[in-house]
Amino acid sequence: MIKVRNLHKSFGDHRLFRGIDLEVARGEVVVLIGPSGSGKSTFLRCLNGLEPFQAGEVDIAGIALHSLGRARPSQADREAIRQVRLRTGMVFQQFNLFPHMTVLENIIEAPVHVLGVDRHKAEEDALTFLRRINLLHRIHARPATLSGGEQQRVAIARALAMKPQTMLFDEPTASLDPEMVGEVLAVIGDLVSQEGMTSLISTHEMGFAREVADRIIVFADGDIIETGTPEEIFTRPRHERTRTFLRRIVDVPRQEGHRA
Amino acid sequence: MPARTRWSALVLLCLAAIAAPPDLNASPRATLQAIKERGILLWGCDISGGAPLAFVDPKDPAALLGFEADIAGAIAKELGVRSQVVQTDWDSLVPGLERGNYDMAMNGLEITPEREKRVLLSRPYYVYTLQLVVRKDEERIKSIADLPGRKVGTMAGTSADSLLKKIGNVEISAYSQTWPFDDVALGRIDAAFMDTPITAYYAKPDARLKYAGPPEGKGYYGIAIRRSDPELKTFIDTVIEKLLRSGDLKTIYDKWGLWDKAQADLAAYGTPEASRKLRAESADAPLASFLPLLLKGAGITIALSIASMALAIALGIIISVTRLYGPPALSAAATAYIEVYRGTPLLIQLFIIYYGLPNIGIVLSPVVAAIIGLGMNYAAYEAEVYRGGIEAVPRGQMEAALSVGMPRTLALRRIVFPQAFRVSLPAVTNDFIALFKDSSIVSVIAMVELTKTYSILAATTLRYFELGIIVALLYFGMSYPLSVLARSLEKKLKGRT
Repeated sequence: MIKVRNLHKSFGDHRLFRGIDLEVARGEVVVLIGPSGSGKSTFLRCLNGLEPFQAGEVDIAGIALHSLGRARPSQADREAIRQVRLRTGMVFQQFNLFPHMTVLENIIEAPVHVLGVDRHKAEEDALTFLRRINLLHRIHARPATLSGGEQQRVAIARALAMKPQTMLFDEPTASLDPEMVGEVLAVIGDLVSQEGMTSLISTHEMGFAREVADRIIVFADGDIIETGTPEEIFTRPRHERTRTFLRRIVDVPRQEGHRA
Repeated sequence: MPARTRWSALVLLCLAAIAAPPDLNASPRATLQAIKERGILLWGCDISGGAPLAFVDPKDPAALLGFEADIAGAIAKELGVRSQVVQTDWDSLVPGLERGNYDMAMNGLEITPEREKRVLLSRPYYVYTLQLVVRKDEERIKSIADLPGRKVGTMAGTSADSLLKKIGNVEISAYSQTWPFDDVALGRIDAAFMDTPITAYYAKPDARLKYAGPPEGKGYYGIAIRRSDPELKTFIDTVIEKLLRSGDLKTIYDKWGLWDKAQADLAAYGTPEASRKLRAESADAPLASFLPLLLKGAGITIALSIASMALAIALGIIISVTRLYGPPALSAAATAYIEVYRGTPLLIQLFIIYYGLPNIGIVLSPVVAAIIGLGMNYAAYEAEVYRGGIEAVPRGQMEAALSVGMPRTLALRRIVFPQAFRVSLPAVTNDFIALFKDSSIVSVIAMVELTKTYSILAATTLRYFELGIIVALLYFGMSYPLSVLARSLEKKLKGRT
């Protein structure tokens, strides 16, 4: 489903990725962990064209994205990016709901205006999502009146409304109060395990990672330093850096309610 | 209002503005035949220059008085047509004539060699002298010989101006929109040096001022005609000759006590009865009699401002989007547009559009020129307001829109712009209200809106204060509802976000 080969990315003079390779199979759940600044977010953003990359190849659901260097994207490049975005859904750390629209309008906006789905059909689908994530009672509310957890759940519904083949989660609970982290992780967990959605999730929630991941990728300084099953990474980390990182995180006592 | 109706209304408004009737005299050849067929003799004059040359009757602000109005009427009568004044700033009288706005210009234009290079001048219809005016208690200045080292006010570009320069070492204050007499009385300048008809009406009756020295110099007023219309000049010359020989010209000037040089000496030292009567009438006229003219001016101000703002907003959106999202070449062009239009005075832009474009064959009516000038100027400011608004919308909004597959233009239209609009609204309201006042600048391209109407009425009646209050209230009455509307719109939008 997702193939990344020899990815190079720089910010100005600062070289971040110096040749990353990764493959994600259909239905696989891959969790990215690592210190801040290690490149997890940037990596996800390279996959749906929000960040240009200077060398390498990215292939998503059969569509190839090419490196741009300093050039402006050509018409073909832009079209490829757009096709990729139609097949991938992204959930942001800051939710990024559209503040001038209601919850319902947020969810149906893209299906109606991008895919041309009939408005009533789109609304029905939206209601189905909202019922599943327990937010039916808020369909006409504006995002500003929702809690962080509610907003993120709506954001997930908004991404899913486009029926993507892959979902990218960029630190989805990092901005949430601890009490709300659980409800959002529950939704994501439900999505990946029951629906079998191919997902790439970057997170600091180790308990969650342990539970849903088929594979864990450890990032540090723009490099993938280790990959493995949750069992391998959490109990027998091989790389020194991984060990240091895990020690700092896992030492903090876990709170209840994170196992969905 | 649904979006489509809003857009249609906007388009119709712009079309209506552009479809305004062109100059009556589009072709600059004013043959006698053409004038007779038209039925109107158009003459250019600055009636805010006021009495006693040509000015508005305080009892009936729609009527024109003054000896030049009378002469224009006499010429028209000889042609079998009626006369119609075309209000034009004094500095723009000759350019306006060359441009074809009217058939002839008459407003105390002195016959000088420089002027004769550009236009034809009729035989003189009046002999004027120059008079020095000082404060009542002035002891040091007894004649123009005492002027070196002093500050003297006069009208720019006249023979009084030249004479002062020839005396040498005189600090000259040039006036064009107002008379210098108030400044003499207030002590801002030491003296004023002006044509006798003007001093007779404005300075002589003023208790704060007095004449100093005898009348100086001697000059002639002539009517200006385009070089391409020699037969009109010949005709006007014969009419003036006729008025002189029949005594009608004397009758006209007698009303104002301005007949011939010898009596001008006397008249300069006496107070003409007509002037005294007129000033009394001006002071007593009920303010309500001025309302129709003022409301007409207000109507023009409103129509002009709305049409210009509509253009400014539409153009501003295009320019700011081009600057932010266009290819590098177009983006640079947009930035250049903004810097040039913000960095140069609106007045000069209007002059170029109205008086300069005819040189390359584009002749615009005053209405169209005014709307284009104001619209294009304000568009530069609007573009920056919109850019600020757009950049204030968090980046995550565009990213979220893009990530669900929206093309950039759709994301801008449905996600970014509505949020940017809300942020920009106070600044846009600000600009719109400012535009209402800035619209007064179009008086320099021959449009009479509210402020110009005020100038004209106030110059005649000298009731600057009372009329000023009324006009200020009218402007306030136009702008304030706009503020209220904008604030209620802001409140409504706040409920949405």
